[in-house]
Amino acid sequence: MDDDYYSLNSILAENHKLSCSFTLDVEGLGYLEGGTENNIHQHSKVELPFWLAQTLSLNEFTTFPLPPPYSNRVKAALNASAQSVKLSNLVGGNGWWYRWGRRIADVLDDEPQADLLNTLLKAFINRLPALQDLSAHHASADHTLPESSTSTTETFRDGMEGDERELFAIGQESGKMTRNWYDSNGSRKGGR
Amino acid sequence: MALPKHLQNGLTPDELTFLAEEETIDIVPLFSMTRVRLLSGIYGPFTPPSSAKVPLWLALSLKRKRKCRIVPPEWLSIDRVQNVLKEERENAESFCSLPRRFIEISKVLLDVAQDDSMQPSLLRSLLKDLREVRQAKIRIGLQSEGVMRGSYLQVTNLTPLELSELKPFLVKAMGIMQSLEPRGDDDEDEEEGQ
Repeated sequence: MDDDYYSLNSILAENHKLSCSFTLDVEGLGYLEGGTENNIHQHSKVELPFWLAQTLSLNEFTTFPLPPPYSNRVKAALNASAQSVKLSNLVGGNGWWYRWGRRIADVLDDEPQADLLNTLLKAFINRLPALQDLSAHHASADHTLPESSTSTTETFRDGMEGDERELFAIGQESGKMTRNWYDSNGSRKGGR
Repeated sequence: MALPKHLQNGLTPDELTFLAEEETIDIVPLFSMTRVRLLSGIYGPFTPPSSAKVPLWLALSLKRKRKCRIVPPEWLSIDRVQNVLKEERENAESFCSLPRRFIEISKVLLDVAQDDSMQPSLLRSLLKDLREVRQAKIRIGLQSEGVMRGSYLQVTNLTPLELSELKPFLVKAMGIMQSLEPRGDDDEDEEEGQ
């Protein structure tokens, strides 16, 4: 995953809101809460985009609990069957579950950080075989419309997260390219 | 990068075919000519019925103009391919060593010089089987332990064509796995038993 400053995917992922609580009163920033107050009070909960929340938390102006996409409920579902969990709608529009999780992990302390990263890694590893099979299958056949397949493959395909979808597209494209080359008969116009 | 993601990491099959056409091959010319100097070297003399060694691209070009007959390389005979296929099927763990440009050359020869090889349809189906067996092994290898740990994938004896098909996907997947590793992990001295 690229954490490049200019990476559009990273920018979109970091824009997802995180619910945090301020540790002190702040004057004049009341509009962040969306209400009509002029000031933010201590312990008030505000939803902030992650890029803002990260700086504030690193300077200890805010604190936040582990956000819902990484809650124990999701973890238990992943432990049960990683491939049937729909990761696409957990984090924002296109679903950047892995990216957002990584950014959050950067702000956490050692132990919750290792825990979160471990969850992400295990989930990815468990979903990878299904992803590979799916992309190889789609590379060798012309499926543009979904066909009636087993329920796990369908849920997996719908629930693919943003990075997984990119990976899938890459695998499918390179497979298709090779297949087209094999099937072409190399006829050229006239002699070379 | 301006290139689409699946092209960023390797060469396309067409480019690989172009590179493969550098290899020399025997032809039996149907015309007579003294030695000729081309940019890439001196070839000839072309005196039928003796054979001459030319690069593959030249052989294909002459063949398309019906000016020669191509002699298939000795590894492209039915027996050899059948042996390789048998070995490939028996060896579930590793890949057989193939001539480096095996796939590209065999495909191009079958397309352009069908009448020069023996039993082209049988050869074609054998090559297709060979390709499928190797693909299946690749797919199994992709789910091997080394990959799942994000460390390595054993690719001895894979041809450049298969590698370039594999690379974009694998590199990105391993990149993601690496970025999800726990921070500040010391190198574990584990024996990669294989």
